[in-house]
Amino acid sequence: MQELLGRIAALDPGASLALRVIACFDELVVGNVNTRALLGAAASLSGCEVGFHQAATGTTMRVCPRGELARDRDAPPPGARRIADGLCVWLDRDGAPHANDEIILERLGLALRIRYGRDRQDTDLRRDLGQLLDPGLPLASRRQAATALGLHPGRRYRVVAAPLFAVWTEHPGGIEDVVATPFGTIHASVVPADGPVGTADPSGVGVAADVDHLHTSFTTALVALRLCERPTTTTVSADDFGGLVSVLATMPPDAEVPDVELVDAVTAFPWGRATLDALVRAGTVRQAARLAGVHHSTMQSRVETVAGLLGFDPFDGLGRTRLGLAYLVWRLRHSRVLDLPAPT
Amino acid sequence: MDTVRRPEFDPELKAGLAIVGGMFPPTITPDLLGFMRRSYASLPIAGTLRARRIERRDEVIPGHRGDPIEVSVLRPADATGPRPGVLFIHSGGLMFGDRFSGADLVIDWIDRLGAVLVTVEYRLAPEFPEPFPREDVYAAYDWIVREADRLDVRRDRILVAGASSGGGLAAGLALAARDRGHQRARGQVLDYPMLDDRGLGTSVGQFDGVGVWDRVSNETGWSALLGDARGGPDVSPYAAPGRAEDLSDLPPAFIDVGAAEIFRDEAIAYADRIWRAGGDAELHVWAGGFHAFDIFAPHTAVARGMVGVRNAWVEKVLAD
Repeated sequence: MQELLGRIAALDPGASLALRVIACFDELVVGNVNTRALLGAAASLSGCEVGFHQAATGTTMRVCPRGELARDRDAPPPGARRIADGLCVWLDRDGAPHANDEIILERLGLALRIRYGRDRQDTDLRRDLGQLLDPGLPLASRRQAATALGLHPGRRYRVVAAPLFAVWTEHPGGIEDVVATPFGTIHASVVPADGPVGTADPSGVGVAADVDHLHTSFTTALVALRLCERPTTTTVSADDFGGLVSVLATMPPDAEVPDVELVDAVTAFPWGRATLDALVRAGTVRQAARLAGVHHSTMQSRVETVAGLLGFDPFDGLGRTRLGLAYLVWRLRHSRVLDLPAPT
Repeated sequence: MDTVRRPEFDPELKAGLAIVGGMFPPTITPDLLGFMRRSYASLPIAGTLRARRIERRDEVIPGHRGDPIEVSVLRPADATGPRPGVLFIHSGGLMFGDRFSGADLVIDWIDRLGAVLVTVEYRLAPEFPEPFPREDVYAAYDWIVREADRLDVRRDRILVAGASSGGGLAAGLALAARDRGHQRARGQVLDYPMLDDRGLGTSVGQFDGVGVWDRVSNETGWSALLGDARGGPDVSPYAAPGRAEDLSDLPPAFIDVGAAEIFRDEAIAYADRIWRAGGDAELHVWAGGFHAFDIFAPHTAVARGMVGVRNAWVEKVLAD
């Protein structure tokens, strides 16, 4: 994987490789993998042999970049890093350390401490940005995390959310980290509210918020991200949906929304999806026909079919709002932008 | 929530996706072709070959329609006398990669088994659509058979091996060699092969937007090769071997695939149909594996398993 990191750096000199190393070890910890797998990942990421020694048992394990066990099992070298009482790790690097060695050793050490039960289970091991964006934590903890990140209480920021496989053409700079969410691991960046947000395909840009409410920017950024539809819509801004976005962001994923089933009935038609897309953007049948690229009379007959299926007129008063909301919920529930967890 | 039931990724491989995703997005659309050609281009290989005492000679051979195409012939530096030969057909969705992409794993066969490895720069879609890629591959096979004496290759000991799109091309080559009465290969190694433009299996739709090479990427690749003919009635089984009606009388096939990738069902069906036709096939389905995980994350337990089992089979059919 050292080679893959090199490729990423060559493609995108602004990419944060440390962030990927962190995400990689986060997944290994969640996956509860064994010592050899942790050492193998570190060896693969660094391109050199990685060793681990446990004093209590006197055991040493060394793993090569292709995951094989190294034959000789020498005692730890003088430069080995102590990660807990009686546990140490080292990278067998010939010559000067590489840029990612430090972060690889740090995350490997943390993962092994957890594996060997040396970190208290009740300690919140998440990093500052993960804590700042968690509304479940007390305000004092979130403020502490914000201060640690160098964010100012008086300023407003946005969170930009992107999956780890996003293709970046421009980086906004600022604070970034990987954050675990119900939709998988997300690359989150915090940028000043009125500054550049970068360009990533796909990505979602959250609403502006102060430090105390930055978690709402993150949840709206996630909604925006999930509304992306590659390759036509590569980035979505939560601002475009005004107040609707907070409704969507706070709605439980399994919330009962009967109108969504009605939308399902419409999208069962080959023309359904494109027609709904036009209807929620247009003010009139004629405009909807233009947006969908069909004749006015074709759209007229579709609107009648849609109205029949929905049981209300999509252009009439509250009907517009009902369709708009139901259609957005439907899109979120059918979003394929992120790695949704497998059903349990 | 709208969820598709699918097998989970192996935890080590899932962690690897945090890195892989940065250079190989799950969903490849035509607009990403330029990106993929940069990201999947092979790295300089001279150092590796020198360290392993492998000799490289590049030759220009006649490809489809006699056009010049390039091959590299790799052999152990101290080799003398006739020896097994391997034709390697690289991966890259028919649209990207070059003849050294993902070659590390087959280069092992040169020093482990003393084989001569020929890797072919077949021309890529969409610039060179069907039948260019497969006929370039066929031409390279024909060239090895014709030049076997000069190359020190035993004609009865030639293995064809390919990964992903290269696996589909290898399978198509085996079919075409049979039907055209050409030298029968000693075996065909089909790693997670891209066999069928029709996208028929359940697995094709199980991994949208996740892992490596999803349904949309697959449609992008097949469309690049076949254009509007994709999925229609007029596609040659040499291009899409999953369409072949007769899978009898083929060289022994080694097929491996991940359980968590779109090609799972096509690979299983291909092996099954070879057996039904009375043929020789060995099939391995690796739990939790995304597409081409042995190339991207060779350090993981599941990749070491895949590579070890494959190498054992290759040794069985090829070694002196």
